[in-house]
Amino acid sequence: MCKEIVDGKTMKRTLTRITYEIIEKNKGKQDLILVGIRTRGAYLAQRIQTRLRQLEDYEVPAFSLDVTNFRDDVQEKNGQQLEFTADDINNKNVVLVDDVLYTGRTIRAALDAIMSIGRPEKISLAVLVDRGHRELPIRADYVGKNIPTSHQEVIKVAVAEVDDGDSISIVNSEV
Amino acid sequence: MTRYLILEDGTVFKGDAVGAATTSTGELVITNNIGGFEHVITDQTYNDQIIVFMSPMISNQSLNRDDYESITPSCKGAIFNSVPYQQITSTASNSIDTFLRKRRIPGITNVNVQRLARHIKEYGAMKASIMDTDDEHAIDQIRALVIPRDRVKTVSTKQPYPNPNVGFKIVVIDLGLKFSILRQLSIRKCDSIILPYNTTAEDILELAPDAVLYTSGPGSPLEISDTIETCRQIEGKVPIMGIGLGHLVVSLANGAQVSQLSVGHHGSNIPTLEIATENIEFSNHNHNYTVELTKQARTNFFITYRCVVDNSIEGLRHRFDPTMTVQFQPESAPGTHDALYIFDEFIEMINSFWQGKQL
Repeated sequence: MCKEIVDGKTMKRTLTRITYEIIEKNKGKQDLILVGIRTRGAYLAQRIQTRLRQLEDYEVPAFSLDVTNFRDDVQEKNGQQLEFTADDINNKNVVLVDDVLYTGRTIRAALDAIMSIGRPEKISLAVLVDRGHRELPIRADYVGKNIPTSHQEVIKVAVAEVDDGDSISIVNSEV
Repeated sequence: MTRYLILEDGTVFKGDAVGAATTSTGELVITNNIGGFEHVITDQTYNDQIIVFMSPMISNQSLNRDDYESITPSCKGAIFNSVPYQQITSTASNSIDTFLRKRRIPGITNVNVQRLARHIKEYGAMKASIMDTDDEHAIDQIRALVIPRDRVKTVSTKQPYPNPNVGFKIVVIDLGLKFSILRQLSIRKCDSIILPYNTTAEDILELAPDAVLYTSGPGSPLEISDTIETCRQIEGKVPIMGIGLGHLVVSLANGAQVSQLSVGHHGSNIPTLEIATENIEFSNHNHNYTVELTKQARTNFFITYRCVVDNSIEGLRHRFDPTMTVQFQPESAPGTHDALYIFDEFIEMINSFWQGKQL
């Protein structure tokens, strides 16, 4: 059973609002960088980058990050190499972008990936959906939508770049 | 019966009487709204103004009594291109003639509004008078009239009143509010308290609101400097939203300047660009003034909306405080529902502000 809970228009609006909040919390400093977690998060980071460019007329670097090599549940380290270098992130204000925040393990891996090569001044987290059930002490600074779920359910975020359009749906795997 | 619209410069337009048989004088304002006569005529933003409807025909159906935006409209008159015969002769309480009569608003129909609009565009905004006679004496009277400067005081509520619900507690500062703003808050379950325009910051914060909303209203924001000062005091302590005149008030509180537009925006289908996404939305505008960002204001604000027609600033967001404003009317009424989501954005802003406080 699959049910669309957020349509494309609302999803775009949510991203716009997250962008506004990033500007608000950044207090006008120009040391932002965006790191999107592959796959969907990378596209979301690019969209936030576009919005920031339109609003503030300055280019925030956006990188994508493959966390496979840093995961605690994958033995084979066959993920992609890091796109950014120590110079890109040292003393910068990093905003991690992901689609769904669930157990927090992906974010932990992303933090490890970033920390493995450099030392940012600050790392904050922007997610489109926070579905609860954290297994690590991690929270998001910018949340698009809080969607309470059960473990049986799956939250599926579709983005137009790789899917059939923008939407957030909830899939019940038991039925 | 013949009735005359006499302009400040002596130009006379002839038409037929409709509505109350009184004479009145006010500033002419042209609106391009095609529908929604009920919304426009009851909108307090038109306080002391004579509204010229550019639509070829107004109200070929009776009025919808669910669409009123205030209890006692305070505009000074209505000029129509044409009104259906039935609407003038009918005695039904929701015919246009009875509506205007009951509210003591004079009107003129069968006026060449195209010529009138062209005249105003050429010679600038001016005062005018609706009269039953056309004599020399009239023009002297119009010239002598000083447009009142305390319009907000006239239309703002004298007593605070609640609009209870179960959600966020919103203090609405009434600068001449449209009921549709309250309707939109009610849809989002906001527990609103409506306060007069001159309520002090202390009294506002005493109510422990979750957010404050400055509504749209008539006249120039420079006339309500106390309200601007109050806004400066509460900014940052609670989330603030400004609509229309409220947008100008919030901008002035942050060091911006206002100037008068050469051609005011009055219409329900003016294209507005959302800068973040480059989406174009059609929204209802009703303003003669616009914001100009000074250097100080530019550090405080970033621009979120611009008008596509003349590139004027239509929306701002504060860089450091939870404050957002729009110059146009997101509640529409009348107009498209493109911009209703701005109220959702307001609610989300309130949510994230208070959640951030808890962490």
